[in-house]
Amino acid sequence: MGRMTSAERMHAVMMGQKPDRVPVNPFAMGYCMQIVGLPLGDFYSDGKKSFYGQFMSMRLHGYDVSPMYGYASCGPWEMGGEIAFPYGPGHSAPSVTRHAVNTIEDAENLEVPEFRDGKLPGAYGIADDLFQMCAKYKMPVTFQSGSTFTASSVVADTTLFLKWVLKEPKTLHMLLDKVSDMYCNAIEYFADKYGPQAVMPFDGGPSEANTILSPKGFEEFAFPYMQKLHKKIADEGIGVVLMHPCADQNMNIPFYIKVREQMNWRGKYIWLFGPETPVQDQIDAFGAHDVICGNVDPPSFQTKPYEECVELCQKNIEEGKDSPSGFILAPGCEFPPGASPDKLMAMMDAAEQFGRYE
Amino acid sequence: MTSKEELLEKLSNAVIEGDEDKCAELAESALEAGIDPYEAIMKGCNKGMEIVSHKYECKEMFVPEILLSADAMYAALDVLRPHLKVDEAGKKTGTVVIGVAEGDIHDIGKNLVLMMLDVAGYNIVDVGRDVSADTFVEKAAEVDADLVAMSALMTTSMVRMELVINGLKKRNLKAKVIVGGAPISQSYADKIGADGYGKDAVEAVRVANKLMEA
Ligand code: B12
Repeated sequence: MGRMTSAERMHAVMMGQKPDRVPVNPFAMGYCMQIVGLPLGDFYSDGKKSFYGQFMSMRLHGYDVSPMYGYASCGPWEMGGEIAFPYGPGHSAPSVTRHAVNTIEDAENLEVPEFRDGKLPGAYGIADDLFQMCAKYKMPVTFQSGSTFTASSVVADTTLFLKWVLKEPKTLHMLLDKVSDMYCNAIEYFADKYGPQAVMPFDGGPSEANTILSPKGFEEFAFPYMQKLHKKIADEGIGVVLMHPCADQNMNIPFYIKVREQMNWRGKYIWLFGPETPVQDQIDAFGAHDVICGNVDPPSFQTKPYEECVELCQKNIEEGKDSPSGFILAPGCEFPPGASPDKLMAMMDAAEQFGRYE
Repeated sequence: MTSKEELLEKLSNAVIEGDEDKCAELAESALEAGIDPYEAIMKGCNKGMEIVSHKYECKEMFVPEILLSADAMYAALDVLRPHLKVDEAGKKTGTVVIGVAEGDIHDIGKNLVLMMLDVAGYNIVDVGRDVSADTFVEKAAEVDADLVAMSALMTTSMVRMELVINGLKKRNLKAKVIVGGAPISQSYADKIGADGYGKDAVEAVRVANKLMEA
């Protein structure tokens, strides 16, 4: 088999065919700013620079996914709170400086932002500068469309939010419903603007991890809003969704399986689980119709030498390569923004050496 | 079981169940029965929270359940604390400055450690999250801290804990340092020169107590 371009490789995987080798999604976000000599904060505060950094990093390393925009604390700014961009020492992504909801009354008064041309809420305005560049280069528009549970956990003061799980379930549902309406508006707007086949919503978050929430809590407070948003995605005619159940979500897997089953959706999910979920478990749960991403332990790229990183990637490739509907090599969460470029090369080298399909 | 032991066990169970009203009531009953408030805190509240922490580690309880237990525990503490003999609170233990390393906003774990140290009798000075090394050191000097407890959940922020340790040394402050958080290990703690490491909130107290005895 001859060498494919990145676009051909990804297309083959999405069509259920074998590419020349396992594609690589390094989930490199803040990292890319190193490549173009810009501060990390620019990744999040300036859509054009964010695109530039990711585009250059992608070309330099030769990996197979195109620029995207998102972060775990999405929601608070859009719903009336405040965030800070990561320009300070040790910072790695935007963080909330003022939550929009600190009382039950705040939750009652919370307004769902609208998405209109020239008037996008919060970071969606920044992200759209990047999306326009993606559309221009015929790359998928990957916008944040969840998770409702994680966004709500930062729209509200997080401790208060977690207490509401048991003490104020009605208020919590009201909050979750409003935040999911924001994501519905985002889905509708971007599907309409760029066309449903050109967008790839990105859904996921850490706050529903089982280090925080029980599977029962997930069923009651996360699952219904996931169903609501994924039905919206299906209704809009969108065909691919990037899913990132962050950190340990092993006990939530039965619900993720149910989302597709209950809507009878024909599209494709691309699953990027945390390092806590064995690749084989992902294949068993989703491999029949969905693309599985790898989940190499992200901090290892920062703390371990090149050779060990190659070995970790090799192991991950061997576990996932023959998943029936395709496999993409990836870390289990964002590539550490401060890791050195040889560690990203470790992913590429492993894919070349151990990921070929002939 | 004597009625005293029974009462303390009921208090501990009410903490586990997260029943605020029951905790306050049982704390009142303990005082009425002449139980030493310090003993009621340690064998009722503290024991309850230790079991809660254990259940969390075994994935039998999750963070919302722990927060409920914490509220219940504080309902009992509010009743019991005013009756402590002055030198019992704080003196046996010490003053601890606690916060999350610079660049890091993950504070759920820090808050659990804070609660466990609080119920174990430490004077708590919470400096919050995304805390610079200077702030940690300044605060430790200002309150004459016996301990500095730092939490970090990210590889980007854990490296900033060493700056605090160096800063404390430079100022010749007596405070010992304990560290924790998901990416931290005993070997990392040793590497940066921390005095102690704990993998969870119960261990945090154990390690703190050991350092205070030394
Ligand atoms: C919930 C969560 C969030 C929430 C945090 C809400 C909050 N207010 O805390 C939100 C959504 C805001 C969030 C944001 C982000 N997150 Co986050 N998050 C998590 C998650 C799922 C759980 C953390 C948690 O609270 N656990 C529960 C508590 C109880 O456990 P704990 O903190 O470990 O504490 C226990 C022990 O460690 C110990 N302990 C803790 N502190 C101390 C201190 C001492 C002294 C001692 C002795 C013991 C001790 O005792 C505690 C009780 O047992 C973790 C995954 C994980 N496995 O940890 C990711 C995780 C920490 N997040 C991660 C990332 C990357 C991010 C973001 C950068 C994502 C992004 N690109 O936007 C941002 C951070 C932005 C910023 N500026 O910091 C990564 C970090 C990767 C790394 N190693 O560097 C993790 C590991 C997820 C992953 N798999 O990649 N996150």
